[in-house]
Order: sequence, then C-alpha cells, then structure tokens
Amino acid sequence: MILEALEREGVEFIFGYPGGANLPIYQHLPEHPKLKHILVRHEQGAAHMADGYARACGKPGVVFATSGPGALNLVTGLATAYMDSVPMIAITGQVASTQVGRDAFQETDVIGATSSVTKHSYLVTNIDQLPRVIHEAFHIATTGRPGPVLIDICKDVQQASAERINTERLDIPGYQLNGHVNLDRAREAARAVANAERPVILAGHGVILSHAEAELREFAEKAGAPVGTTLLGIGAFPVNHPLSLHMTGFMGTGWNLKAVQNADVLMMVGMRIDDRVTARLADFAPKVKTFIHIDIDGSEMGKNVRPHIELVADAKNALEAMTPHIGELHEGRGQWFSQIDAWREEHPLKYTHSNGHLQPQDVLIDMYRRCRSEAIVVADVGQNQIWAALWWNYDRPGLFLNSGGSGTMGFALPAAIGAKIGRPDADVWCVAGEGGFVMTAQELSVAVEHQLDIKIVLLNNFSLGMVRQFQDDFYGGVRSQSELTHMPDFVKLADAYGMPAVRVDTFEEIGPALDAAERTKGPFLIDFRIDPEANVYPIVPLGKGLNDFWEAPDK
Amino acid sequence: MTFLHNEPPHPPAVAARPEPTSPQGGEVNRPQERVRVLSVLVEDGSNTLSKVSGLIRRRGFHVLSISVGPSHQPGRSRITLQIDHGHAEADQVRKQLERLVEVIQIEDVTGEDVHSRELVVAKVSASEVKGLVERGAKVLDTGPDGTTVEFAGEGKDVCDFINELIRHGVLDVARSGPVVMRRTA
Repeated sequence: MILEALEREGVEFIFGYPGGANLPIYQHLPEHPKLKHILVRHEQGAAHMADGYARACGKPGVVFATSGPGALNLVTGLATAYMDSVPMIAITGQVASTQVGRDAFQETDVIGATSSVTKHSYLVTNIDQLPRVIHEAFHIATTGRPGPVLIDICKDVQQASAERINTERLDIPGYQLNGHVNLDRAREAARAVANAERPVILAGHGVILSHAEAELREFAEKAGAPVGTTLLGIGAFPVNHPLSLHMTGFMGTGWNLKAVQNADVLMMVGMRIDDRVTARLADFAPKVKTFIHIDIDGSEMGKNVRPHIELVADAKNALEAMTPHIGELHEGRGQWFSQIDAWREEHPLKYTHSNGHLQPQDVLIDMYRRCRSEAIVVADVGQNQIWAALWWNYDRPGLFLNSGGSGTMGFALPAAIGAKIGRPDADVWCVAGEGGFVMTAQELSVAVEHQLDIKIVLLNNFSLGMVRQFQDDFYGGVRSQSELTHMPDFVKLADAYGMPAVRVDTFEEIGPALDAAERTKGPFLIDFRIDPEANVYPIVPLGKGLNDFWEAPDK
Repeated sequence: MTFLHNEPPHPPAVAARPEPTSPQGGEVNRPQERVRVLSVLVEDGSNTLSKVSGLIRRRGFHVLSISVGPSHQPGRSRITLQIDHGHAEADQVRKQLERLVEVIQIEDVTGEDVHSRELVVAKVSASEVKGLVERGAKVLDTGPDGTTVEFAGEGKDVCDFINELIRHGVLDVARSGPVVMRRTA
C-alpha cells in the first residue's frame, strides 16, 4: 500500500536502507519495478542523496530507513534539508503499534527526535490513516515553503492491508498557503525601489524555489537595481549580468558588501536574512531608509530585520505584481552604477598564486573554463564551498548546490550522487575538502555500483581549512585539532572502491587531470593537494559588521 | 513553567493594545513587554502538545502557563498559552506557532478586551473560611482536617486569593493557567 501510494505520487527513486522495522515494505519492493531503489551505505547518505536529487531536479527526494538507529541517522540530513527548504519525504519504520512505548528493540521516539528538523511529521499507527497521510505529506513537503516531511509507520501497519480510499481531496485546516499578493504593498515596494537613489536587491533560495529568476531579472532591469545573491541564492541572478553584485554575506564580494552598506533601499527576496548575510546585525545596511522583505513564510518578517514594506508571498507572484508599477526611476541611478563599478575595481576577488603551492582557485578557474554553464557543482562545507561559490560564474539556478543553512560537512558526495540521479543529462562535479569527504566517503560504493558519471574534486589542504583559518585569525592563532595529519591515500581509497583517481600537486598537472576526469565514463576522483595555508577572502571578522571585511593580502 | 505562588504575569483584562514598540528598520529586537497571551485551536492528536511546546522551547520562548482542553468542535482542542517571547519580536510567537500544521487557528489576545479566568482549588486547615467566601470562593467540602475551596477569577484576583489563603492555614493549592474569551460586549 505504501509503495502504491508512492507510485501514485510520481516517485521514481528511493534512497534507503532496510532493517528490522521496515522489512515489510522491502518485501514488496521487487513488485514495483517503477520504483528504483538506491541502496546507500549509511542512512545519512540516503538523506543527502534525496536532498541533492530534489535540489537538482525539483522533485521531492524520498528516503527509507528503519526504526531507531536507522531513523536517527537521517537526522542530520533532515536538518540540512529543513534549513534550506528542500522538499523531502522520509519514511521510517517504527516498532509495532502494540510495542510502542515499551522500549522495544530498535525503538526510538523518531517523531520527538525529528520534530525540530522537519516541516511536519506523522506517526501512523493505523492502516486507515496511511493513504491520506502519504498524500498530505507530499503536498506539505512540496508546497509553500518546501521542507522535509517524515512519516513514521508502525511495522504492523506496514503489514496490514486496507481498501484503497480516495485521496484526491486534501483537507488540512492548519495548512494554509500564501497565494495572494497584497497589490498595494507590491506597488509601494516597486515604487520604493524605483525612487531609490541607491537601491540594492538581494535574492535568496526562495527565488530559485519559486522559479522566479526570469521575473527577478525583468524587475531588476526595469528598476535599474543591482542584484546580489545569498550563498543559497546563487544562480537566481546571472553572475555575468551587468547588474550583478555576486554573492553577499560575511564571505561575499567586496563590491557587494559596499553596495549593501551604502544602499538607501534594500529589497530582500526569498531569504531569511540570517547572521551569515548580515554579519553584525547592528551594523547591517546602516543607510537603508526602506527595507523591503518578500518571503513566502510570514514568520520571516521581523525575525531578524523588521521590514518597512513586507510582502508575504511567493517570490514569482510578488515580482510579477511589482514590475508593472516601477515607473520613473530616480535620476541618481547612473552615479550609483559608477560608484559600484569603482568598488568592483577597488575590491576585486583575488588570491595568492605565487608561493609555489597549488591554489584552489586555479583548479576552479580551469574547471569553469571547461564547464561554463553546463555542469552542476555540488560543494561540501567550509573553504571549498566558498571558493566554489565565488570562483565560478553561475548563470542560472540549479547549478550550484550546497548545504547553506545547516553547513553539513559530508553533504557533497551523497548530494552529488543524488543530483546525478535527478539530472542524468548534466555533468556533476563534487567539490569537497578532505575533512568533509571522509565523513560520508562510504557512499563511493553507490557511485561505483551505478557507474554514476560524477567527478570528485578534492581540495585537500591537510586540515579543516575553515576551522584553521578561523583559529589563525580569530582564536589566537591556536591550531587546535584542525590539522588532519593521518588521512588515507585518496587515490588508493578510490581504487579500493573500484574508482579511477589521480593525485595533483602542481599547477601544470591540473589540466591533464581534468582531461582524464572528463574522458572517463563513470566516477572519477582527483586529489588536488592544495596550499595548506590558502584562505577564503573576503571575510568579515567574527563579530564585526559588513563594512569591516578583509581582503586577500597582496603578495 | 511558573509554579504556585509566583506572581504570574497576568494580562490586563481590559487594556488598550500596546503600541507596537519594535524598532523600524534593521534594528535588533529590543526587550519590551515580553508576555504574550495566545488562544490556539489545534488538532487533537498525540503529537500536538509536544510539537507546540517543542517549538516554543527551540525558538527561545518560555511557557509561563498553559491550559488545554477540548473545544466545542470534535477532534479539536483549545490551548491557552502565556508565553515570554524572550529576545524575539513579540509577533514571532504567533507566527512561529502558525507554521505548525497542527495549529488550525491562533489569536494573540495580549492586551485585548477579553475575559481571562483562572481556577484555583485549595485546602486550608481552618474550618471557618468566611473571609474566603466573601471573596467569592465556593466551599467544596469541610471535614475534621480542614476545608476545600474553589475560586475562579482573573490572574490578579487569584493571586490575591492565594495570599488570603495563607491566613487560613493553607495546606495545598492546585491552580490552572488562564483561559480567555473575547468579550461579547
């Protein structure tokens, strides 16, 4: 019954792992050849694969896990998806309903353990609830602000049968969607941007989730307003566009931060305005007279910054409603653009490349030269993530995937596997540091088993680079537990899994290694042994405002 | 939770809604009158209460009182909450609770024109409880060990009543959180 319901919801792939409390589901899986099951090596891998799948192709990712440890291993993956509003359905086995509460074997209160990292969750103790619950779960996961929904199904319910009941009609009184755009406020917001002397638009993940990139571009061009994106908003606005400010936030570009800090009207669309965007909140965008906040989730209004004009709406609908009301633009716009151009020249992205070491930016620049806008880059967390965000000109959504809100190390490899399964037509590059990579490296088996054409770019700096950089700069220079001195030989590790791999130590070897990766069908790993002292710049020192960003030292 | 005899931060039953004091424009939410009173209609399910209380905890709010009971609609319960919203904006309590699928309807009645009633049942050693009856208490039973009384009223009256109990040799007190209802007129 569960599997039939999943077929009805259009599910193609399930990322999962069997165990005692979900064996009844697995028993019937072979009867459903339309449901392709990817057997992972750890449940966290399943959650990240489903997440990467959903981010890449837009359909909800589906995960199976058993009770107790199986379900608990999903928690990090659920939290990652929840923070980044990724649609996911997790179906976990639970002990029989008669056993619940008796500390049965592998019993855990999974609803209790996951409530804070799911959009919604259900404990199903009765077969009659099941069709409605599954249909509701997909609806809730994929609509409004998307997110993971967990369905914990007691083992006896999995074994029960019931008549198929009509699930077409949904009646969820506590779940209302914000479809309506307040037109007066939309007009007011559009006029505020048009009348601004120094407007800035910041775009977040919500723009991508609502497929509003065309509407954003039209609005920005007509309103003559430069656009920056958050880390998760990368791709919502083309980096090569003349109005682009590239990435914002405490590791954003210098010209972006200058623009935000000098803006008089700041419109933020589809974003949470979190601490990584604002840095020190009291110093955030101090010259702004009008904050405009557009988000589908009303609870975001005033959570961090109290907007003067708020629009609780889907980004696409809101921008569509706003564009016709732009009207005349403020006459000072030309001067604002010249000022931003000056900042762009004054604070370019730069890096050191004269110390004899291999630099991560050299690797990424060569990769970008080859891939342009044709590849999906899935980054891990840390320095590799920020380098991959900044040194690549993403020009549309869905090309840069990463764990932004949760910052989950170990995300990249399984998410890249999921992305490749969701978008088999696209080249998928997994960019990771060696620290995060070994956290989920067991999923190499899955890439090899399915001969998935993913290219793994390890930026191996023999340390937890971001931690090391923070320790150097903000924690008294004490490199406490951040140097990874005993790590595997990654070429041999890949070989052990049956995957070709090469090691790269010099600039000259980058091209041939990437050539080999591109020529190889199936997975390929390159261990780039980069400068162990390479840092992320710009960076705003912890506790400081956006004005205080540090740039790469001139060497 | 706030326990017995602590002065509860009861809402003024009849008071003008306070002017919004949150700063406009990019400023951090400042401490203000931090107690919100909410009347929440929820789906009656085994997960509902833990989801509501879990959300309150993880958003940094604090439950000062909670009353739960069935509503007049089958399958739906009414929760009355007094919440300290901590460093968040006052409106965040309502907005965050609204996100729960189990929450069907929510009203922030802080400072609104509402009836707010709390129930207290107390045991005192005295057999003569004239002072309590004069305050509106009802005697539930009297025995050789003392008297059991009940009293219902607004939070402040309940506090005054409890202070009065002390003079009658209070033995035990059980007290509900407030339930609220908008005034008819």
